[in-house]
Amino acid sequence: MVSMRSIAWFLAAALAVPVAVHAQDKDHGRDLSGMWIVQDPGSGSWSEWFDNVPKPQLRPEIITDNEAIAASERAGNVVNRMPRTASCPVGNLPMMMASSPPLNIVASRDEILIGAESNRGRFIYTDGRPHPDVKAPSYVPSGFGHSVGRWEGDTLVVDTIGFAPRVCDSRRPVMLTPGGGRAKDTTHLVERYRLASPDELSVTFTWEDPTVLLAPHTYSYTYKRLAEGIPIENNEEAPTGPQPKYITDQVEK
Amino acid sequence: MRLHVLAALVMVLGSAPAALAQGGGSAARPDLSGYWELRFDSFNVPAAALTAPAQAAAEARRKKDLEAIRGCLNIGMPALMNDRATLDIRQSAGVIGMVAKSPSSTRYVYTDGRKHPDAEELEGTTNGHSVGRWDGGTLVVDTVGFNERGITAIPGGGYRTARSRLTEQYRLAADGQQLVVTFTWTDATVFRRPHAYSFRYYKVPSISEPRVTNCIANDAARARFLTEAPAPAPAR
Repeated sequence: MVSMRSIAWFLAAALAVPVAVHAQDKDHGRDLSGMWIVQDPGSGSWSEWFDNVPKPQLRPEIITDNEAIAASERAGNVVNRMPRTASCPVGNLPMMMASSPPLNIVASRDEILIGAESNRGRFIYTDGRPHPDVKAPSYVPSGFGHSVGRWEGDTLVVDTIGFAPRVCDSRRPVMLTPGGGRAKDTTHLVERYRLASPDELSVTFTWEDPTVLLAPHTYSYTYKRLAEGIPIENNEEAPTGPQPKYITDQVEK
Repeated sequence: MRLHVLAALVMVLGSAPAALAQGGGSAARPDLSGYWELRFDSFNVPAAALTAPAQAAAEARRKKDLEAIRGCLNIGMPALMNDRATLDIRQSAGVIGMVAKSPSSTRYVYTDGRKHPDAEELEGTTNGHSVGRWDGGTLVVDTVGFNERGITAIPGGGYRTARSRLTEQYRLAADGQQLVVTFTWTDATVFRRPHAYSFRYYKVPSISEPRVTNCIANDAARARFLTEAPAPAPAR
């Protein structure tokens, strides 16, 4: 005969399982892992898409600088002729997050990888570490900056500083943000990642930089999950035959 | 009263098997996430038994790999796993990411049960396409879909081709402070029999910044170092 006490123990043990599952479901809402493609409204033009955000309130000198860049491009300065050197920063966060190659996200407990085009990407530390001293000589700035994240309910809040002051681009030696802003050493970015549904990721970007903006600039992107997408690789073949001229020129010096 | 209790018990237990299956699978899996480095005693690499064509191609392959290094191309597999800078492995429920510091694509190992794409859909990459499954505490990874770009050299001899297949077994050791990986390459055009070797990685608490080697392809001194034959010491 099963006693009421035995039944109560069974019940207590069984009830504990759904509680654990509920916690796991909550974690599942936090697992951003997967391949995600940004939802471009279909402009067909990179610059139109990139700037298709609420207008930022730019400082007058940034507006003037943007006009100068546009005039230079109209005059034919459309090819980057600046050679890459060891001091050239790697990465471009605003471009990567807006580009059509899918983002590959792997979210572990302590760190989140965001790769693009199966290539280099971002690292978001979620282990509680602070930003390093990005003004220290030992810090090497990049176009991805330094990112730390924390969860606020079902939203991952990512804080990024430590962008490179300049980039190696003869056309515009600054990293542009959507709408004509800048990401540089004085810039602070806050991103908010949330799964609107299992197959839809919403990311809201808020840029702050008093040397660029009169007020924080906020816009959002939606990314759709590419189930079982295959990572592609920005993969150049090793050069064959004669060496590129920029190599031979320098080797001969 | 008793009927009500039993009815509740039946309802609750009815949901339990699904819940246990959902939670049990992932709970039993080791978490390979962490920063891992190779040290002087990390390698158990026997010589590969190469086919005659592979032996004949060795020097040409060496030069091709050198060109890839000079050009800062994605190094790919297996060089990504040989990287002497710290390797970052990140594990989520359905995919594992591996990032080396040298020029390379992030490597993704899908553990969500998917299969390799059909051959006609699979464009070869330096890392190939990897799927993994857990066999107890061991992650078994199967990789196909390579191309012949990047660094193709395989430890012990031989090289990666588009026909290569790689099987890896990942196992944590020393209370999670070591990661032992056994690599087995099969490729009838290169190996007379499957070529297996093992690496033992040590867990380290942090990784140095910046996370990416800023490889400069047009660095003339670097190009000279890589491509010119070293001058032998003068005879005494």
